Amino acid sequence: MAARLVRIFPACSRVQLGSMPGARFLSQTPSPGAAGSPAGCVLSPADRNDSHGHVEVSCPFFSPQNRDFHGFHKEPQVDVWNMKVAFFFGISVALVIGGTFVHYLPDHGMRQWARQEAERLIKEREAKGITVLDCNYYDPSKIILPPAGDEE
Amino acid sequence: MLKILIPTLMLFPTTWLATPKWLWTTTTAQALIIATASLTLLNWSSETGWTSTNPYLGTDPLSTPLLVLTCWLLPLMILASQNHISPEPVSRQRTYITLLVSLQLFLIMAFGATEIILFYIMFETTLIPTLIIITRWGNQTERLNAGTYFLFYTLAGSLPLLVALLILQKEMGSLSMLIIQYMQPAPLCTWADKIWWAACLIAFLVKMPLYGVHLWLPKAHVEAPVAGSMVLAAVLLKLGGYGMMRMIIMLEPASKNLAYPFIILALWGIIMTGSICLRQTDLKSLIAYSSVSHMGLVVAGILIQTPWGFTGAIILMIAHGLASSALFCLANTNYERLHSRTLLLARGMQAILPLMAAWWFIANLANLALPPLPNLMGELIIITSMFNWSSWTIILTGTGTLITASYSLYMYLMTQRGPVTTLITAIEPSHTREHLLMALHLIPIIMLTLKPELMWGWCF
Repeated sequence: MAARLVRIFPACSRVQLGSMPGARFLSQTPSPGAAGSPAGCVLSPADRNDSHGHVEVSCPFFSPQNRDFHGFHKEPQVDVWNMKVAFFFGISVALVIGGTFVHYLPDHGMRQWARQEAERLIKEREAKGITVLDCNYYDPSKIILPPAGDEE
Repeated sequence: MLKILIPTLMLFPTTWLATPKWLWTTTTAQALIIATASLTLLNWSSETGWTSTNPYLGTDPLSTPLLVLTCWLLPLMILASQNHISPEPVSRQRTYITLLVSLQLFLIMAFGATEIILFYIMFETTLIPTLIIITRWGNQTERLNAGTYFLFYTLAGSLPLLVALLILQKEMGSLSMLIIQYMQPAPLCTWADKIWWAACLIAFLVKMPLYGVHLWLPKAHVEAPVAGSMVLAAVLLKLGGYGMMRMIIMLEPASKNLAYPFIILALWGIIMTGSICLRQTDLKSLIAYSSVSHMGLVVAGILIQTPWGFTGAIILMIAHGLASSALFCLANTNYERLHSRTLLLARGMQAILPLMAAWWFIANLANLALPPLPNLMGELIIITSMFNWSSWTIILTGTGTLITASYSLYMYLMTQRGPVTTLITAIEPSHTREHLLMALHLIPIIMLTLKPELMWGWCF
């Protein structure tokens, strides 16, 4: 419940992991060094010992001034444009137009053609009265083999 | 192919010349345009296998879905990395994107190669950007160990492959995939021939990974940043599957006996890695082991060399690529807020972030192969063809399916349901970017349910 209430506030805080004794939830490194801290949750040393007993954090991205943070960029204008561009090219172009293109591609691998052709040939052969399928592709009586004695 | 390659090459100038403010916007837009253009490769209107305008780069129904997956993944990687890379200096951001783009380039050339040596060179070349991404941008000290495992496991497997390919070139005269599919496979009678057979496949089995040689995967996937995990899970593992499917055409008929131990290892690996998943405390490690489990099924499907086995393998590779990448993105949304991958730390997230819980649900359903998603299609086709190969495999594959469902549900319940961890006092709300990322992962899986023939390969 407390989590839900706090979520309404645009401020965010780092998880109080140090309060769990003996827990090793984090990695061995003392601080996220090489990768840098993620956007939005920075606890600067100066804020740690605040006068009114709780820690204040500075969140440069989610703030009362930037309530509509979309997750792309800290500047609101760039953030909104990035969101629009990503949605347009991702959904409208790639998924919708691309999906329509893929849907209307001709018979993929001629599978439907093969099925229709097979049905047509079966109907034709049954109408003529000949066998529908024979294991010999060529007529064996028309194959001329060399005499066996000529093998070298 | 050039309409994909040239825009990808031009992503390098885009990355280095764009203004810092618009860097991510422009690269995302260009990558998405490339992904849309790659959809034209799906056109296969003839019955013939290969489509190529030149002898060196071509596509066929096996490589096309993997190519489209690769091209689709680059914008997703850029979207996923945007938040955690943005505090860094601009030149480092540009370097990061350059690494992602170069990885994309090598992967496109690998999947488009018609010559096996080009495929091998690109197979090895993809190791370099991935290694740099893991070791430079990973978050824990274990990343160095992970990079070492990743590099040397794969290299140790692929050096015998190089020797095997050179032997093949000398014997057959050509290594073009267009030609060797028609060559008579040489009978493999001597011990040297059997070792040559193994050398052809070991590299790909390590990459897949097969259960016995899978140790690099949990390390690499866990220590990599989100884009590294995404590309590893979605595409790089499939390089192994693709290579195996290409090589195995000409390795008959010895494969019938020689493949036995690998098939059994793969099937056993499904159960073992699935069981490990049930005991994991680290979220990314759970998803990584789940990848090993799914790929075990793919390995088994490829090694039995039946048409349905191949088809099931391709379908499962594509579907797993998207689902696994989606899960890594979700794990990253947790990690960015809590700086920890421990499952116990982020419980009851459904109460806090309900929309993200919806994505967690769909991604986990995809992972446990819920019908009608293509994950089930692939698994079922492989299980059926394995049953045809030997009836006893149903015990292993059936148990594997059960365990897959168990750990997927376990992952969902542990992260989303249950009491909210009292340690969490405030969590940043979900970003639009994260929702878009998940949508772009999961909507293609759903759309593929409607037109699965794109993934059926040339055997079906």
